Amino acid sequence: MASPLEQYVNTVRSQTTNGSFRELVEYLSKTNDILQKNSQHLDNVLETLDFQQHSLGVLYLLCAKFTYVTPAGQDNRFTQAQEFILNCNGEQIRLVPDVFADLCHLITKYLLEIKQPMRGINLMRKAIFKLRLFDSQLTSIHADLCQLCLLAKCFKPALEILDVDITGICQEITSSHNGSQFDAKYFLLYFYYGGMIYLALKNLDRALYFFEVAITTPAHAVSHVMLEAYKKYIIVSLLLHGKEQPIPKYASHVVNRFIKPLSQPYSTLASAFELNNTSELNNILTKHTDIFVRDHNLGLVKQVSSVLYKKNIQRLTKTFLTLSLSDVASRVGLQGPSDAEKYILHMIEEKQIYATINQKDGMVIFLDEPDKHCGPEVLKELEKELCLCMELDKQILTMDCDIQVNPQYVRKSTGTQDDEQPTKSTYAM
Amino acid sequence: MVSIDLTYLMGELEKQELEAPNGVASPQAYEQLLAIYLYKNDLCNAKYLWKRIPSQIKESNPELGHIWSVGQYMWKKDYPSIYNALNSVTWTETVADIMKKVQESVRDRAIQLISQAYSSITLEAVCAMTGLPPDSCCKTCIDRQWQIESDSKIVHPVLSDAQSIGQTSSEDQLYKLTDFVSFLEN
Repeated sequence: MASPLEQYVNTVRSQTTNGSFRELVEYLSKTNDILQKNSQHLDNVLETLDFQQHSLGVLYLLCAKFTYVTPAGQDNRFTQAQEFILNCNGEQIRLVPDVFADLCHLITKYLLEIKQPMRGINLMRKAIFKLRLFDSQLTSIHADLCQLCLLAKCFKPALEILDVDITGICQEITSSHNGSQFDAKYFLLYFYYGGMIYLALKNLDRALYFFEVAITTPAHAVSHVMLEAYKKYIIVSLLLHGKEQPIPKYASHVVNRFIKPLSQPYSTLASAFELNNTSELNNILTKHTDIFVRDHNLGLVKQVSSVLYKKNIQRLTKTFLTLSLSDVASRVGLQGPSDAEKYILHMIEEKQIYATINQKDGMVIFLDEPDKHCGPEVLKELEKELCLCMELDKQILTMDCDIQVNPQYVRKSTGTQDDEQPTKSTYAM
Repeated sequence: MVSIDLTYLMGELEKQELEAPNGVASPQAYEQLLAIYLYKNDLCNAKYLWKRIPSQIKESNPELGHIWSVGQYMWKKDYPSIYNALNSVTWTETVADIMKKVQESVRDRAIQLISQAYSSITLEAVCAMTGLPPDSCCKTCIDRQWQIESDSKIVHPVLSDAQSIGQTSSEDQLYKLTDFVSFLEN
């Protein structure tokens, strides 16, 4: 074994025994060169260290292995990484969250290269459990998990994570002058991928929320993730609400100034949809097909056009009490009465309209929404909503409390202008 | 009871798939999982499961394809074809029980839908949506106290009120109410 590596092992061992982890981290962050130069011996070193006891040392070794070693023949990187993530010491790895997250990104990249995303899903979940301090904390590994789930087309494992609203962010990158930070790329990716997962499972409400978070992230430059999220945001709001939802005021001006013009075809699609014009919508669809295909949004756009029929039927319920099926068909622009019946049947099943079909006379009777505001299920729903509100209120109060005791805030608000006061805000995402 | 068992089985199968080396589960696991998703009318997950099954497995196990064709018709809500696809194949032991339940659940939903959506409907349409031959279909209708006009074969479904949600205890409600009030007051 080469001597720099011997020194590496000795340092890791002695510092771990002494419990001086901060010094160890300091030392390890400078070992990159040594590890790169001796990359062919990394396996020998790994054997001398214990995954649980010397987690920090092993973590840096594995990172180096994924980065510099191109294996010939037997590739044991994944097995080693798997064993490490399952056995490592949570306290130690939380000292260097950025390196641990990097390892996870490297594993993800590796699995994508060998096209076996399925294998990483459980592992990334375990990694998230190790790194985060509480359930609603976001780590950059979240994005990896979502990406793997999307590529494996297996969404259920991600839902368990996605369904918890994020209230805190694991500040992974520590740099001396900016304080702790979180890479915005992974924040955006998490919400973009998450939105796509919900969209695939037809949970439109939640999908819209995720895309909204993505496009309202403070920004000074256009991010591609944001741009794609914006396009999907338009489509989902058409599918869900039947019109383009306005962008929240607190969104960055980048969205209005740059992102909107870049997604022109989607805006025209939305305006045609809002005019309830089926033929115009289909014109736009054919005109911009190649753009929609390029953006991988064609399927969604096609859903929009079928939703327009339903929306038009819904509008009929506002004007008519009874209507014949053939009238419905001609007013909405469907082929014939049987098509109209099919659409209405689907809508009744999904509780989008309340109506009964009379096949004997070929008529539809539109009904009012049945009065269901007194049952126990309404009470249950109400209780659930109230609990959510109370939880949110609690959250806001704690955040408010945190800000009030923040030394910088106190200094600013009490008006004693200190010249040495740092100008840059140290609040970091 | 049955649905609890199947939910448990579903969890187990999902775990099996995630923990399988190379990320590929056994064909039997795929078949059962796909059938359970259909039983639960969870078509989105069924669709993506079908998409992620490797094509070699699909080719060597034609039954998977048969199960999914039922799913496809369910997606299109093409009732006659669903029953056709369900009954044209003899299912192997792995999925036979689940597929039987798929049929029952599809039929239950169809009956529920008819009673919601129609004030009058031809007997033929009822037969098509429930997949029953006319005479047993008549019997089902009569069981549910749906009137049948004998000359024109028109059925008048009756909307059944299916409302049975477990009432929570009043003490529990009082407790929650106290919580709300104390929240509002503060």
